Amino acid sequence: MRALLLVLATLSLVACHRREPEPAPTSAEKSATTPPSAPAPVAATAETPPPPASGGATVASADGEQLFQQNCATCHMADGSGVPFLQPSIRGSAWISNENPQLLLSLILRGSAVLGEAAQAYENDMAPFDHLSDVEIAALATRVRERFGQPPPSKPVTPDEVAIARSRPGLP
Amino acid sequence: MHPSPLTRFLLLGLLTAGPALAGNLPKPDADNGGLTLPAGFRALVVADKLKPLRNLVVADNGDLYIKTRQAGIIALRDTDGDGRADQTEEFGEGGGTGIAIHNGWLYHSTDSAIYRYKLTPGQLVPAGPAERIVRDLPNKRQHSAKVFAFGADGQLYVEVGSPSNALGQPDRAKGAVGQDPTEFLKTHGGYWRFDPDKPDQTQADGHHVSTGHRHSTTIALNPVSKKLFIAIHGRDQLNTVAPQFYSEEDNAENPAEVLHVLEEGADFGWPTTYWDPRAKQRKLNPEYGGDGKKLAPAGKFPDPLVAFPAHWSPMQLAFYSGTQFPEKYRGGAFLAFQGSWNRAPKPQRGYNVTFIPFNKSGFPVGTFEVFADGFSGAKDLASPGDAKHRPNGVAVGPDGSLYVSDATAGRVWRIIYTGENR
Repeated sequence: MRALLLVLATLSLVACHRREPEPAPTSAEKSATTPPSAPAPVAATAETPPPPASGGATVASADGEQLFQQNCATCHMADGSGVPFLQPSIRGSAWISNENPQLLLSLILRGSAVLGEAAQAYENDMAPFDHLSDVEIAALATRVRERFGQPPPSKPVTPDEVAIARSRPGLP
Repeated sequence: MHPSPLTRFLLLGLLTAGPALAGNLPKPDADNGGLTLPAGFRALVVADKLKPLRNLVVADNGDLYIKTRQAGIIALRDTDGDGRADQTEEFGEGGGTGIAIHNGWLYHSTDSAIYRYKLTPGQLVPAGPAERIVRDLPNKRQHSAKVFAFGADGQLYVEVGSPSNALGQPDRAKGAVGQDPTEFLKTHGGYWRFDPDKPDQTQADGHHVSTGHRHSTTIALNPVSKKLFIAIHGRDQLNTVAPQFYSEEDNAENPAEVLHVLEEGADFGWPTTYWDPRAKQRKLNPEYGGDGKKLAPAGKFPDPLVAFPAHWSPMQLAFYSGTQFPEKYRGGAFLAFQGSWNRAPKPQRGYNVTFIPFNKSGFPVGTFEVFADGFSGAKDLASPGDAKHRPNGVAVGPDGSLYVSDATAGRVWRIIYTGENR
């Protein structure tokens, strides 16, 4: 299991570095290696999130954006860039980009406790969000995949998939 | 009639000798290294593009020693007197935050231990190995920086933070319920006193001085009152934990970052309470029954001596012991704020160095003002990852210059007073 987690963490990093359409470097890249540059045009993204990438403006994805702002943006920032050393960037994360949503759902439901050693790259722990309903988490996960998947997975996440993740302990 | 600061400065220059004279100051950068400063102050970049930096200290000969967050200690020397570092060395490992020079030793902290190197006069890099003074301090990643200082008694005072937001279960989650902090606080959220010369002490060997704080990354000895002053980082995410009581605005403006005097036996009120800077009252945390209005029990916890805006993140504090700066600054303190993240969706704030006036007795008068600004490179920052620089370390050099280190892009500034009108 640990080996799998480390592989996933590595994949996540690779995914971040391979991101091409994303205009702004992740905070981790910036703070770790690159010299200061002009502020990236992320503020506009933060204030006016782009419309859903696929499937039109469904009710689920509209709720998903609101749920993201209420539950995730506080720590991961409205533009997903994270906070250096404290909370990771979620842009291009392998967990989010994976067509199978079960890893992402497990993380949302149980917080960073499911990450084991992989969570130690950042200082703060992520709280579990299991107080949200299956419908809410499905909409939230769908929206997060649309905005931050690299590339975005094609299918929306369903409440049934959330129920499966909720019914089993730990990671899938 | 009082002479103007400029006149006073020129008079001082006539009356004293030494490196503080304007003629001996280095040439500032045309753009002041990107900083905005009060009239008469200028700045220059001493070194740039080092690693993410934490606290720093300046030796009597002007050599700089700077902690890196995740690597060794960077030593900088200006060999030709132009103010820019010509020699850059790195030694040691393990990252961390705290650094100080005491009785000819360079002390520093990782996130779990305190070490020291013997300094050899004239040599930039210590010749011998590090000696471990305190080992195996609690380190659970969150709030794990271990700042320290030497008291008027010569003893070593070390912080151990609380790896927690407000000891909620689950911490930081909506509806989090506060846990009994009694056992937790026996080894977290306080200051401990150690013998600075005795190797391999453990936390149990130390004397437990104070309790009830979340995380303090600031401790410094005031040379007049001989008291140690600490700043404490307030909690995060009031509106995440209790959205029924706190709006985004309430969270962005609460709670205060606070400055206290470190007294034996003090309890600073975490995790059950926080300081509301707008109401100027101590309130109960929502994890412990608070609703944004309920007050903490009166008289149990000290009021802060200075309350700063929420989430600014106070880092290193340095008392101004020099005479280069105008009289207003002498005896006061400079405090670096690395800047907020938990004000979103409101713009992030902080990312500056403030000046805190102290009175003739060596206590703060209760106010503060922004001294150096412009570090982030943006007026309204959405995310801390977009900041060009985040000030972390601040220290006073032997000629009274103020040095500042950068937690992001590894820049080091030297701020000088030239008195010129620009």
